[in-house]
Formats: sequence, C-alpha cells, structure tokens
Amino acid sequence: MASGRTVRVWEWIAAAHEGDGPVSVAAVCRAAVRMLGVDGASVTAMSGMMAGEPLCASDELSAQLDDLQFTTGEGAGPEDFRFGSPVLIPDLESCGARWPGFVPGAIAAGARAIFALPLQAGAIRVGVLSLYRATPGSLSPAELTDATVLADIALQLVLDATAGISGQPDYRPLAGLSDSRAEVYQATGMISVQLEVTLEEALVRLRAHAFATSAPVADVAASVVSRQLRFDPDPEPAPYA
Amino acid sequence: MTDMAANVGERLAQTFVELADTLVAGYDLMEFLQTLTDRCVELLEVDAAGLLLADSRGSLQLVAASTEQARIAELFQIQNDEGPCLDCYRTGQAVIISDIRAAGATARWPRFAAAAQEVGFAGVHAIPMRLRDQVIGTLNLFRTAPDGLDPAVARAARALVDVATIGILQERAVHQQELVATQLQVALNSRVMIEQAKGILAERLSTTPDEAFVLLRRYARNHNHPLTQLAGDVIRGTAAIVSGIPAPARPGRRRKPGGSGG
Repeated sequence: MASGRTVRVWEWIAAAHEGDGPVSVAAVCRAAVRMLGVDGASVTAMSGMMAGEPLCASDELSAQLDDLQFTTGEGAGPEDFRFGSPVLIPDLESCGARWPGFVPGAIAAGARAIFALPLQAGAIRVGVLSLYRATPGSLSPAELTDATVLADIALQLVLDATAGISGQPDYRPLAGLSDSRAEVYQATGMISVQLEVTLEEALVRLRAHAFATSAPVADVAASVVSRQLRFDPDPEPAPYA
Repeated sequence: MTDMAANVGERLAQTFVELADTLVAGYDLMEFLQTLTDRCVELLEVDAAGLLLADSRGSLQLVAASTEQARIAELFQIQNDEGPCLDCYRTGQAVIISDIRAAGATARWPRFAAAAQEVGFAGVHAIPMRLRDQVIGTLNLFRTAPDGLDPAVARAARALVDVATIGILQERAVHQQELVATQLQVALNSRVMIEQAKGILAERLSTTPDEAFVLLRRYARNHNHPLTQLAGDVIRGTAAIVSGIPAPARPGRRRKPGGSGG
C-alpha cells in the first residue's frame, strides 16, 4: 500500500545510508540535503516541551541553528513542536519581530529560510525535522510533499530504533508507513490502556509485534480493535512462588 | 419538487448559520466536518455522507463519515485505490453515479461497485473540494436508491462543499501555499488524535471505537467542548468523560488467559 512517492523517498534514504549500522535519521538528513534543494537538515528529539536533543545534523550550520533555537526557545523548530504543525518560513527576515532572539543569530550564521516539520502522529510527537536554506525561497509543493514523507519516515525510524527493529536485516519502514488507517491509531489507544503506557510506547509495541510476526501493521491493529489480540503487560517476577 | 427545493433552501440557510457559528467560536475543524456530513444527510435526501481530505503526500484520508457504511465505502476506495471519490479527487470534477449496478460503473470500478452494493449503496455523488486549481479533497454522498439527486439538491450540495472548503482553508489564508499545507496537516493530525482517543475510551469502557466516538461527540456537544481538545484531554487522562466510570482493572500479576503480548 506504500505510495510511489513513499517508495521513492525511502530509496533516497537507503542511498544516503552509510555504514553497516541501522538506517537512522542521519540518512534522512543527508537525503533531504541531496534531494530537496536545501542546504542543511537536522532532526531534533523533543521528548518534552522544549527539551531539545539533537539526533543528527547534516552540517555545522544546522547544528548551530538547533543550538540557537534551543537556547532562545524561539524559531521554527520549537514553535512547530509546541503547536504540532509544520512551520514554513521562506524568508527569515520577515520574522525578526516574531523571534527577536533567534532571527539575528540565524541570519548571521548564514540561514535565510527555515522549514520545520513535526515528527508526529496525533498526540505522539517525538521531534522535529528542520531544513534550512542559505537563500530565501519557498519549498515547492513537490518538495514540501517529499519533506513531509521524510518526516514520516524519520518518525518511524525513531520509534523503531526504540524497539530495536530498525537494525534488523530487511527492515523497511514502509510496512507501516502507509497504514495511516484509523484502526492503527485506535489500536494504539487501546494498547496504551492495556499496557498502561504512553501512546508513543504503545505504537512502538504495535509496530514491534507486527515486525516480529511478519504481519502488516494494519492487520495487527485490526486484530486489536476486534479484540482478537490483546497486549498484556509482561508478567512481572512473582514476589514469592 | 419545488416544495422540496424551498424546504432545502430554508434548511440550508439554517445550516450555513450553524456552520458559520462553528467557524468563529472555538473553531474545531473535526467537529465542523462531522457536523457537515451529518447535515448533508439531513438536508440532501441522501443516506450517508463521507469526507476525504488529501494529506500533504497527496493520499486521501477519511476525516468524517456519517455512518459506518459510508466509512466502509470510503476506506474501501482508499485501500483499493479505486472508486468514484478517488476519480473525483484526481480529476477535480464531480463524479455522479445514479446506479452503481449499471454496466458502465461496474466496468469502471469493478471492486468498488461490488463493495458499495454489499453495504447497500446504489448512488454515489462525489463532489470535489476545490480552491482555484487545487483540489484538497472530496465530499461524497451515498444513496441506497438507484436514482439521481434533484438538481436543486445537487446545487445545495455544491454550496455545502464550498462552505466546507472555506472552513478548512479559512479565507484569509488561501493565497499562501504555506498556510494551506500547514492547516491541512493540522486537520489530519487532529483526526489521528481523535482515533487515538477513541481507542483509549473504547478500551476503558469496553466498547467499540465507533461507540466511543458517539460518546465523545455527545459529550463534546453537551459540554460545548471542542472535539479535538476533548480528544487531547482523553489522551492526557484529564477528561471528565471517563470520570464516574469505574477505573479499568489494574493489570495484576496474573497474565490474562489468552493473552498475547507484544
């Protein structure tokens, strides 16, 4: 069910993957720079409001911009995370008043356009994919679409790295990528109650189960929703026999 | 059909007022779209309505459906990449089928025609949600009887679709591609949040997600609480909707029979 565009974007990421380790968000950043006509890309994890932890940056300036956003609490990334929507700034000079702490530093460092896309699925938000350009200019609709797909894949790589499955041979995030079906999210909510965990962890567990049983995520989700499959907390060691 | 047309005109006016109210005070897009599909059924003499929006990847997502049958008919098209609503989105033109059993329709959409009949639909009226040259989704009306829509009703449907399109894009934002993309993403993400909240509620109350949704909507309405915000409260565990309902049994140290872990 993966769309042609998703398959194509995954191919970019696979081609940008270096080394023998699992495909990680670093490859997403490299693919963004190669294919989207941007000068830098970074992925920042945000486990709580404003808790910026850079996961990767394609270059020094991207890392510098992440730092600057983190220290000032301003800019596209923090705003994106707070509101959960993409923040697209084709010309930073127009945002001097909006972010007085961030904009002068960012322009001085060499950035002129910045685009931040949330790594999110509903209430699950794990971070932000930030792209910047050294010259002002919008992303074209096609570039924006590709950027959204990159952010989707980055979300899955972050989730699947948590479960340890992104390092498995033949790993492809595509199985779940197109499964933005209602059941997947309903099942995530149900599992979070069953296991008493966050939605994020519930989704990680759902995807890990699908991977372990070689079943499409949508099929596993359908079993959960129809109550044929239930996730129980791992049995804790009994205090006494 | 003039009586019906006049009646439709009057009730349409009421609906516009209602939808406009939704747009100004505590704007909640998901509530707005769900209200819209419900009103389509009441006003347009159709049996069900569904609304699909394109995400920024260009794939259609179901954002509202008046009935389970409409939901099935819409999801079937998305999952099988075949059907009149998809063609409507791709061409930006309305697709009108009076009888899905007709040879032309079954030849064009063999799988969808079978699936539609299975849930009891004969007529499909798919209207593009279009802003200038951009198609952002489709509103789809389903009828169980194999006859077309009255022309006055079809015009009313078109007007409702235009209202919905404006509701989604909000007039002031339309010339800015960045804002359109942003608003659509936010809208679709709200839908995901609602699905997550449905799952949480369904598990807590031992109901189906659909029953949980009915509950969510009723609570949101009775308490004048935007649906997306209520979904957020359910996810954070702060919604009063689950209070007064016994807390779920704490998972004990015993593994439930038939349990299958992740």
